[in-house]
Amino acid sequence: MSNSETMVDTAPAPATPESEVKVAAGAHLTLVERLIMPTILIVVLFGLPWFHPGYRLLSLATSTGVSAIALYGLAILVGQAGIMSVGHAALMGVGAYTGAILSRDLGMNLWTALPFAAIFSALAAGLVGLPSLRVGGHHFVIITFAFCGLLAIVLTNGGAFTGAASGLDIGAIAPLFGVSFGKLQNVYLLVAFFVLASIALTWLVMVSRYGRTLRSIRENEKLASALGIDVRFHKIVAFMLSGAFAGVAGILQVYFLQHISPELFGAFPSVYIALMVMLGGPRMLYGPLAGALIVTFLPEVLNLDPIDARIAYGIGLIAVILLLPGGVMAGLASLYRTLRSKVARA
Amino acid sequence: MEIFLQQLVNSLSVASVIILIGIGITLIFGLTGIINFAHGEFLMIGGMTTWLVVSNGGGFIIGLVAAVLFVGLLGFVLERGLFRLTLDRPMNGFIISLGLIVVLQHFVIRFWNSYQKSIPEPLSGVWEIGGVQIIVMRAVVVLITAVVVAITFFGISRSRYGLALRASVADQETASLMGVPVRRYITGVFIYGSMLAGLGGALMIALFPITPFIGSTIVVRGFAVALIGGLGNVAGAVVAGLVLGLMDGLSAGYGLPEWTEAYSFALMILILLLRPNGLLGGTAGPRAV
Repeated sequence: MSNSETMVDTAPAPATPESEVKVAAGAHLTLVERLIMPTILIVVLFGLPWFHPGYRLLSLATSTGVSAIALYGLAILVGQAGIMSVGHAALMGVGAYTGAILSRDLGMNLWTALPFAAIFSALAAGLVGLPSLRVGGHHFVIITFAFCGLLAIVLTNGGAFTGAASGLDIGAIAPLFGVSFGKLQNVYLLVAFFVLASIALTWLVMVSRYGRTLRSIRENEKLASALGIDVRFHKIVAFMLSGAFAGVAGILQVYFLQHISPELFGAFPSVYIALMVMLGGPRMLYGPLAGALIVTFLPEVLNLDPIDARIAYGIGLIAVILLLPGGVMAGLASLYRTLRSKVARA
Repeated sequence: MEIFLQQLVNSLSVASVIILIGIGITLIFGLTGIINFAHGEFLMIGGMTTWLVVSNGGGFIIGLVAAVLFVGLLGFVLERGLFRLTLDRPMNGFIISLGLIVVLQHFVIRFWNSYQKSIPEPLSGVWEIGGVQIIVMRAVVVLITAVVVAITFFGISRSRYGLALRASVADQETASLMGVPVRRYITGVFIYGSMLAGLGGALMIALFPITPFIGSTIVVRGFAVALIGGLGNVAGAVVAGLVLGLMDGLSAGYGLPEWTEAYSFALMILILLLRPNGLLGGTAGPRAV
């Protein structure tokens, strides 16, 4: 095993981007090493309420979890398919408003409305994704931004249907299998479950044939298409999958806050979502979660006021992009590999 | 008809600011491939600089010059310190500019709060021509913009520096083999674009009050103008800026002002879909960095 590892090290500079090499190197991790992260994750994620974290921390953790779900959706798009979008808050908005309007007009609860939120957001994402077939790169990023701006204007001008600028209110989460969601702790656990599901789904996408297809599109669209991959179809599917994550995050957000308004889903929240993904590392399995945690909890830990926190966040992000272009988790992963190979050699 | 003319004249001054922003974006993107979403923040900082100078007893002209110079300096520092490092990875430059939005905006809010700032109108007075009232300051804004646009346009299409610039856009490698200091041109264009944003900010605060949040609204217009006109195309940016400015002004004058922004978004999406290179055609960004 150490043999093949040194082979990776001494191999002539590979033409593939660094991340592919990392994935190859990661294949040599032992079973224990592979299970460390998921175990820590599950223990911390579901163990948190038993440490009596207090209302504020638990509510921060819940909103972090909600964002993390949307971030995983965006990470599939950015990290795997290589399509950047700065309109993701709009897709969350579609899910959130679907939930709120279905509850108001048809009396549906979270459980019955959830599939609709996911489907509507996925459809909206497919629509936003359509221009990506025609225009690439930078142009497309700006189109997603414009879509996001459009949605915020439509929500603000939607009159009674969308509640205009003041938004909509919604009741609490309906009990499921006798579990009541009156207590924040149970809402947190519900969100934690969805976070875990998002990570699991992202992992499935990453290791599956579908993930390889998306990465081939990311690395070389023309080559992928020459190899018989239906690039257009897969791009839209990636968008819709990503949108479904955002829809679930959106409806969870509306039920958690019990109130939504258009400014939650405008251009700035979208920019923040994109930045969190880039900060954590869009190609890493735990990158989006790390991004969400850093952005939410670092200001708390350092006890910064909101304005200073934003400045620190912006500077931190710029530093990460310059020093660790793959994000914090990619940096940590390569640090771990370096240490590990040093230990192995010693 | 008179109301129409009135709206037309008013929207021209709005269009001017948008054109200044759009030209900066179109030049910077066209040559360097940097998508600087913080360009609107540059404008905001230009406006705030003017406000600081004027509220500390300086004249508007000093405020305007200070804004142009300060934002130019800011552009220089940021290009050398940040964007230069991302030239081979434009997407990282884009992300950095998003981070810069957050930093610059909150920096201004931290020291000078988030309320809107205004300065007394530098030039008061109204001209009346055939029943159409023209506010003098607005006319001056249009005039300054027209002069700057003309200088920029002829500088690029006629001067030898413009020729070298266009050569660098077309093919950086060949241009540098022909002795064009491409890197220096990139810095120069970035500074020039930033100065235009500073000028736009100074002119804008002369027209209306501005808040630290103005940047994100204006940058979207700027990108709309740059993309609709064709990236790197100054004449295209002017045409697109006029179209958007008039659309803004007319929709505000003829009902539905709450949809004003939606029009520019929708137009931008539509034109990018139908004519990805813009109405007048442009560069697709720099080739071979």
